[in-house]
Formats: sequence, C-alpha cells, structure tokens
Amino acid sequence: MDARKASKKRKAVTRDVEEEAGVFSGDELKNENLNGTLSDSANDLSESEDESDSEVELVDEFSDEEDEEDELDSDEIPSDDDEDERKNQVKNTDEPNFRIVKDANGNDRYLYDEINPDDNSDYSEADENANTIGDIPLSFYDQYPHIGYDINGKKIMRPAKGEALDALLDSIEIPKGWTGLTDPSTGKPLNLSQDELQLLKQVQMNEIPSEGYDPYEPLVEYFSSQKEIMPLSAAPEPKRRFVPSKHEAKRVMKIVKAIREGRILPYKAPEEREEKDDNLINYDLWADEAERPDHPMHEWEQTDPEDREKDFLPNDFGSLRRVPGYENFVKEKFERCLDLYLAPRVRRSKLNIDPESLLPKLPSPEELKPFPTTCATVFRGHKGRVRSLHVDPTGLWLATGGDDGTVRVWELLTGRQLWSVQLSDEDAVNVVRWRPGKDAVILAAAAGDDLFLAVPPIVDPEIESASLEILDAGWGYASSAPAPTAAEANKKNTPPKWIRPSSALADAGVSVVIPLRYVPKSISWHRRGDYFVTVCSGASTPASVAISIHTVSKHLTQFPFRRRLKGGGPPQTAHFHPSKPILFVANQRSIRAYDLSRQLLVKILQPGARWISSFDIHPTSSTASGGDNIIIGSYDRRLLWHDLDLSQRPYKTLRYHRKAIRAVKFHPSGRYPLFADASDDGSLQIFHGSVTGDMLSNASIVPLKVLKGHKITGELGVLDVDWHPREAWCVSAGADGTCRLWM
Amino acid sequence: MSEEQATSAADSAQRQVRVQLISKEEDVALPDSTGPILVPTGLRRYALSTLVNNLLGSEKPVPFEFLINGTFLRTSIDEYLTANGISAETTLEIDATDVLSKTSPAASWASGATFSKGQERILSGSYDGLLRIWNMSSEIIATSPGPAEGGHTASIKTAKFVSPNQVASAGLDRTVRLWKYTEEEGGFSGKFSPQLELYGHKAGIESLAVHAPSNRLLTGSADHTVGYWSTKKADAPSAPENLLPSSNPRNSKRRKLNTSVTAPQRGPLSLLSAHTGPVSAAVFDAMDSTVGYSASWDHSLRTWDLVTGSLVDTRTTSHSLLSLEHLPEHHLLAAGTSARHITLIDPRASATTVAAMTLRGHTNAVVTLARDPHSAFGLISGSHDGTCRIWDIRSTKTDKDGVVGESIYSITRKSLEEEGKAESKRVGGEGVKVFSVCWDETAGIVSAGEDKRIQINRGEGVLSSRK
Repeated sequence: MDARKASKKRKAVTRDVEEEAGVFSGDELKNENLNGTLSDSANDLSESEDESDSEVELVDEFSDEEDEEDELDSDEIPSDDDEDERKNQVKNTDEPNFRIVKDANGNDRYLYDEINPDDNSDYSEADENANTIGDIPLSFYDQYPHIGYDINGKKIMRPAKGEALDALLDSIEIPKGWTGLTDPSTGKPLNLSQDELQLLKQVQMNEIPSEGYDPYEPLVEYFSSQKEIMPLSAAPEPKRRFVPSKHEAKRVMKIVKAIREGRILPYKAPEEREEKDDNLINYDLWADEAERPDHPMHEWEQTDPEDREKDFLPNDFGSLRRVPGYENFVKEKFERCLDLYLAPRVRRSKLNIDPESLLPKLPSPEELKPFPTTCATVFRGHKGRVRSLHVDPTGLWLATGGDDGTVRVWELLTGRQLWSVQLSDEDAVNVVRWRPGKDAVILAAAAGDDLFLAVPPIVDPEIESASLEILDAGWGYASSAPAPTAAEANKKNTPPKWIRPSSALADAGVSVVIPLRYVPKSISWHRRGDYFVTVCSGASTPASVAISIHTVSKHLTQFPFRRRLKGGGPPQTAHFHPSKPILFVANQRSIRAYDLSRQLLVKILQPGARWISSFDIHPTSSTASGGDNIIIGSYDRRLLWHDLDLSQRPYKTLRYHRKAIRAVKFHPSGRYPLFADASDDGSLQIFHGSVTGDMLSNASIVPLKVLKGHKITGELGVLDVDWHPREAWCVSAGADGTCRLWM
Repeated sequence: MSEEQATSAADSAQRQVRVQLISKEEDVALPDSTGPILVPTGLRRYALSTLVNNLLGSEKPVPFEFLINGTFLRTSIDEYLTANGISAETTLEIDATDVLSKTSPAASWASGATFSKGQERILSGSYDGLLRIWNMSSEIIATSPGPAEGGHTASIKTAKFVSPNQVASAGLDRTVRLWKYTEEEGGFSGKFSPQLELYGHKAGIESLAVHAPSNRLLTGSADHTVGYWSTKKADAPSAPENLLPSSNPRNSKRRKLNTSVTAPQRGPLSLLSAHTGPVSAAVFDAMDSTVGYSASWDHSLRTWDLVTGSLVDTRTTSHSLLSLEHLPEHHLLAAGTSARHITLIDPRASATTVAAMTLRGHTNAVVTLARDPHSAFGLISGSHDGTCRIWDIRSTKTDKDGVVGESIYSITRKSLEEEGKAESKRVGGEGVKVFSVCWDETAGIVSAGEDKRIQINRGEGVLSSRK
C-alpha cells in the first residue's frame, strides 16, 4: 500500500505541484468513501500505473532539475515585491528547502517544498475544482448527475438546483450582482461583484473603462475670444493682412490656367441616358421553370366519385349551415375577427346624426311674414341729413328733423309733406319724438340748445284744442311756483324756465320752448305722456345737467342726477321702462336702471360694447307676455340683445354691419316680434325676435332682411329708424337727405 | 299764288294753312285721297281731332294727338307757327297719332280723377286743395275756389261727380264738400260754387263713394270711421259744433279765415265705427245702395248695412287694405293691399275662404281700383309703383298660395318716358305714384298721380283682344 501511495505521490508531484496540499486529501477520501465502486476502479488504474514506474523515475529526475530552475525564477519575481518576503526567502536559504528521502532503490531522493507562486505572477493557477471538459457544451451532460470532471478526474456534481419556489424567492430578493445567468464553468448562479458591475456599466455607456480618466477636464483656453486689456502682442497689424494674398492668387491662377487648357472641365449636368446599356445583363428568372406536379387533391377531384379511394366529402350534413353549432361558429369567428381588428366585442352602432338636426330650428323668413322688404315711399325735402324721425301714435304721420333746422311732418303712405317749421337757422334738429297717446298730438323736438313742444296744425279741432290744453296747463303752475332764491338762481344747475316761443314759431304751431343751455341729443317720452327725459350727451356738458326729466303738466324741468354715472363717459341716451317706474340710462359702456319711485339703482348692464349709440326696451317687458328684454346698438358695429332675467351680459351678439350702428328699435306693438337697426353702412337690418311669456324658453332671433337704398353721404348712412305703431312697416332717416318707408 | 296772298291778307282768325294729314298707325286708316287740306290756323288739337274723326267716319270719336315735326301740338296751329317761325305758306305735315295715352299737367300732385259721362269732362282733385275740370283737349275749364273762398283748406284726396252739375270732394281737411258746377255756353269755362260742407270726420278722408240716385255719399276716413252722408241739405243733420273750423282755438289768431262765401254746414247721417285702423276705402254695393263695404289699414274688410248703420260682416286678411272695388257680377270685392297685391274677397256669408284670388304684379302699395266698363272680368289698379295694371280675373293659375292672377297689361307713366327714363325704375315709385284711376267707356283709362299729371289711356278692347 505504501509503495502504491508513494507512487501516487510522485505522480502528483509530476502532474500537479499542489497535490500535497492537505485540504483536498479529505475531499479525496470523502469521494472514495462515498463512491466505493468508483474508488475500486481507481485502484485498478493505479495498479496498472505501477508497471511503468521506471519511466516515471526518469521523469522525476528531469522534473527535479526543472524544480530548481523554477526556484530561481520564483526568486526573481519576489525581488520586485516587498522586502519582508525577500528576507524570509533569504532566511529560508539557510535551511535546506528539501527533504531527503529514500526512494524505492534506496538512493537519496531530494524532495523539495512546493513552490508557492505569488499572486502577482502571470502564472495562472488552475482552479482545482475547474471543469476540465473543455469546449464540450454543457448540454451533453444534461442526462448525468455531473457536469464534467475536475483536474483529478473526479466528477463535478451538478449543484442542486433550487425548486421553482426557490427560484421565485431568489427573484424576489435579488442579491447584489445577481444576473440571472448560470456560470457555465461552475453551474452556479453567476453573481457579479460591484467592480464588475461598474465596469459593465461603463462599457454599456460607451465610456472609457479605465479608472482615473476624467472626460470633463476643465478646458484651458490658450486663445480666447475675449480681448484682453493687455494683448499678447502690441505690434500693429501687419500690412500683409490687408493686401491680397499672392499665394491665393497663384492658386486661383493655377485653376484658371487648368480650366483654359481644358484640364478641368466645368460641371455638366449628366444627360439622361436614353440608349440601352449593353453591359447590363438581364436574367430571365423564369426561363427554365419546371412544371410542378399536380396537387394531389386535384387528381382526387378529377376522378369519378365512385373510383375515389377515399371520400373526403362530409356526408352527415347537407351543407355547412346545417352543422350544429354553425350559428355559434360563424358568430364566434366574426367576433374573433373583430378582436384581430382591435375592435371591441360589444359593437356600438355609430352615432348617425344629421348635422342639420343639430342646428337650432330657425323658421324660414317666409314663415315670419310680414316684415318690411321693399321701399314704398321716399320722403324728399330736407336739405342735408335727416337726423331723426318718428311715426306718430296713430300711424298716419311721420315727423322728421334734420340738419337744415326744420321739423317736417309727412303723410306716411304717400310721402306728402304736410307741415314744416324752421326751428333754428344754424343748429340742426337733433331729435323729434311724438308724445305717446292718441288723446293729443304733441311733437317734441330738440334743435340746438332748445327743446320745442309743438302741436302741428294737421289734426281736427277737437284734438288740437286738447293738445293745446295739455301744453298750456303748466303755465299757471309754473307761475304759481315760488321764485327761486338768489342763491339757487346763481347755481349752475338751476332748472330752466319754460318760455313761450317767438310769434313766428307760435304761428307755425310751436307752443313751448325749453332752453336747456346744452345740446340735447335724445328725447324719450314716458308712456303716459306727461314726462319725457332728455339727455345732453356732449362731452362738455356738466354731469349734473346732462340728464333732465321734464314734466309737461307742471312745466317743470328736473335734473335727477347730480354726479356722472360711473365708468363709461357721458350719458348717451335714456328711456323709460314701458310699464314700470324705471328709468334706463345708457352711458358709453353700460346701461343702468334706476327705480324712480324708490330712488334706487336697480340694475347695471354691461353689454361689452365700447360705445353704446342707442338702445330700446321690448314693449312687452315685465308684462305677462314677456320678460325684460333690451336691444343695444353700438358704434363698434354690434347689436346686442339683453335678457335682463338672464344676465347682465348680452344674451346674443349680432355683428352683421360693416359700420357703426346708429339706432335700434323694437316694433312698438306686441303684434309683430320685429326689431330693426340702422347703420352707417347705409343699410337697415330687420330681425325677428320673439319673446315668449314663459320663463322656459329664450328669445329666438332670426335675421330677416337687409334693406338697402340710402346712399352713404359723408361716411354716414342711416341715422334713425322707427316702426309704424301697428303695421310691419318701418321708416328710416338717411344722411342723404331722404327718409324711406319700407313695407 | 293769288289765293294764298288773299288768305294772308285776310284776318288772322280767318287764316288758313295747308296741312297734310298722315298717320303711321295701321288702325287709323286715313283716306288715301286726302291731299293737303286747308284748315283755319285757329284750330286746336280738339278741333283737329274732331276733323280727323269726321274724315274717318268713325262711330265713336277717338282722341288723337298731333305731331308736327316731332312735337305734340299743345296750342293752336297759329300759335305753333309763330312760336316756331314757320310760314303759313308751307304745307304742314301733321302726324295724327292715336296714341294710347295722353297726359295733362296739373299744378300739384293729382289725387283724384274721374270722368263725367256724356259731358267729356275730367274732374281732378289735387294736393294743393283745388278741384279742376278738364276737357278732352287737356284744357282746364274750371278751378275750384281757394281756401279763402270756401274751398278746401288742405289737400284733396278724392273727388267725384255726383251728377254732371254736382261735384263732391274730400280730403285732409276732414270735410266733404259739395260743389255746384256750372259751365258756360261753348264749354270753354266753368265755375265751381260751394253748395254744402259736411263735417264729421276727425281725420283726413281717404275715399269717397257716390250713389247719385239716392243722393248718398260714403266716405272712409283715417279716424277709423266710415261716414254715410246725404248730398241734400234738407236730409242732412246739422254739423257737430266741435269740428267746425270756428271752434279751432288757434285759427282765430293765426289765420283770418273769414270765408267770403259760406256754404251750409251739415253733419253725417251716420258714422260707422268698428274699424281699428284708418279706413282707406269705402264703396257702395253696385247692386244695392243700402249696403256698403269698407276696407281699412286694420287688415279687415267690413260689410255695413247703411240703413241701420250696423256692421254685418267682417273679413280679416293678413295685410293692410288700401283700396276697394266691387265686382257685382262675381260677388267679389277687389281690395288693394299694402303688400303689393290685390285680394279678391267674397263678402258673402256663405263664402268659405276669405281670399278667393290674389292678383300679383305691382311693386308697391295698390291704392286705387276701377272696374272695366267693357267687361265684367276686367279690373284696373293703380299703385304707388307708378303703374296701372289691367287684370283679367279669368286668367289665373293655382299656386301654393291659392288662385293667383297676373296682370295682362301694364301702363307706365308718360312723364317718365318724356324724361327719357322710361326704363329706369323708380325706387318706391318716387315722383310717379298713381293715386287715382278711373276707367270710362268713352274716355278710357284716366289716372292721376304724383307726377302732377292726368294720364288718359285708351282702354277699349284690351281684354277682348286677348280672348
């Protein structure tokens, strides 16, 4: 046994320098213990080895020499390293680094210690556990419990693989450096160290993988764009910087010369090559196509049904439709197709909406007749613009006032002038308004600073006397009123006294003159005909006297507003509410409603217009048949419909005119839901705006007609518009000196 | 030569001129043999027309116009010769044109024109408040007195002959005035003398209808009432005091209107009030003078029993009615509307629909209507668009709006043609509005308008030619 052991050791020496290391001997033993059968065979092998001992000896001697050389080599390498080890080596030299043993023949044999190479050496020591199967794929060992052999020929057993649950647990708490890979050499999970991971990361990021390399070193600017106070060289710019370069000239001349000699050819666009290129070879891919054998099924089809070896045709059902479950099959197939198309299985029918049906249902203009469509009468006579016009409450007469200072009354239907009075020689008549009510015929007109109340001599004596009585009743009241004190008289806003007109005017029919001191631009009567409000909209008018309310029965003028309305310049126009004691006053940007009985500001409207020109209140406002509705015209071309119940912002904004809107008017009777506006672009527009009594539905507004005819004179078109009190006729006053009746 | 010298030496009234009458119109067949004929230079158009009618031997005299060198003869031949410096020795070539129409200028807007049967006189009322009587030679025979002498103080809207010797007129001064019209021997001048003033209306009177046999008048006024009047002083009640001009508070100081001629003042037999708008037209039933019809701006047509003064029936249309005419043969009333068409309304209670027929074609309000004296189916309308249109109520077609008719003939105003603007359309019929139309068997279609003219068109056979 000893001999065998010794031989074994020798073998180990020759083959592996570290065979003597005691650590692995135990392993060997264990292996031997574990696998008895295997060790037997190993013994067999060792016995066969004994027969070739002599040869081994020779090898041993040779190897001894080699060992010495190794020692020398190894001595050299540690010299590079630290001094301690060197000293150890030096110390070791004192003692013999070999043992002398007797070999089988009794000769001395020098056994040297194992050479322990340093870690630094290039000498890569093989892992004693390393698999020695080389390049053979591991899959070859799939059916074996081992995955190869170590250097000693021992089987490397397959490491126990974790069960699925372990794998799951592993995947849940991933250890540092876990890759999920299996190291092919060990068969264990391949874990990477922190450094290796860092290295991989750097490779992935295309970074330079060596340490200590800083890719972002600060740049040292040797030649900066910044001009230093002290230049590197104070020398003046050399002359050569300013003269043409001879070298360049030389190079250019060289090119020029080459072009002249024809050595450089100018660029020529490549011509389209029409002719066939002979060099191009066309291969006929189908030249030697062989006939393919017939499809076997085809042959089957050719043969007679009796001769067929096999009957492929289904016999159980007459057709596929009769196969049970066909219904489901088709449906399922269809739905699978839908799945393929990424369509939902629940099919919603596409919303099939006619776009027309989304539009609000507006009645066609034909259904909304009657409304004015054509010009029926032209009233010609005014010199210069006609600024204002009004149809009297009976609907027979039309009163107009214009730049020539006259007020004229016309027969509405025929256009015959019935009455005319020259109110002022210089100033234009700004506004004319009939007193509402059929019990009297009184015309209020404003020319210059004065207001005139007249009874045109066109009515029968009864009404005329009634009208005169209404106007004359106040003289007595005014005279019986206490005279204003001196202090009051000195005050700027003393109400004016109503006076009698000059005899010429009195003969013409004017009864009362109210000198207002400022130019009134708007007159609006209260529905009962006892009050009217005038607005002097001039910018220079003091705010306290801009709005005045006149009482006809008392010959009294009052200034209800002491201060200017907030926000939006001077007041523009004012109207009484048709049924409630409310006064609407418009300044340039807003309309305010004041309750006259309670002396309160009730409402503020913000139409959003830049400059309100006019507004009108719907005649059925605050009655059973309609809520409060107001239309507003503005100089910035907008017509705004306000529903007071809805908001202080406009309910509808209509922008159809090219120029400023001068006047807006509702049809005064509730019979025709019409309104009209007059614009500087020379046209009138007629709208249908029906207001319903219930609070449920909003007003519906339909544009009906554009009435054109007035000529634009001096940038002005139509200045005023009014409706006949009962019929769907409207009248318009133009800057061209005409008025027109539209029916 | 000697003969001509003799004529030149003779008195100017006896002067004669050689005229060659020609006519370019086919239907005026002047005898070919008519060479130059000698006519006295004192002749006027009317005399020449009579001459031509004699030459033609026509049964009914046809009014002719005479063109000399391209201008219409408006004066006597003598005056024409002197005005144009033409020697009386030359042969005048006179073109006798039977023009369909001729016009007579009036001083102001001519508002009403009617024709007096048998007398060949045209009565016209005018916006200047005067009545005029014309003969067929466009000459004014008589003019009514002005406001100072008992005339109308405001525009006359309508005037009618009651009889050849009596005229009724009404207008914006709210009165109906009856005039006695007398004509001097020879028919070259006449005289109006106020006979009766009828007060009662509180606003301008728009229309006047006369029923001469019963001496009754029917007026429509802007004060929403229909007035029923008697032309006889004895029948009529006294005038309402408060409507008399003397009650006017301002008249006394403003204007001294002491009329030198005072006519008796009377009131209405009855004022029929049911309309809610100005009454634009009132007519008698053509068969029964106790039935009246009135049309109003309030869209309604009302039937009145005039004897009791009660409202019989109301027919409401969708537009303001501005004129009315009764077509007795068809039991229809034609009403002109502000919506530019004429509605034919069956006023009988049995009628199922209000509008039996609609006549379309006018471009402005239809303010006057007249029957065709030749045909029961003919109708003429005058409109503010400056045209008169002749309608045949048989030539209709059924439209979506019911039975619709179109005019078969349209007469434009001659004044437009004279201005050379016949083709240009006037906006709103400005300046050429027709205010009144009358169709007489002998004179033809007489229409008056804003162009201050009375236009006469021959209306014979207009309908028959289209049969």
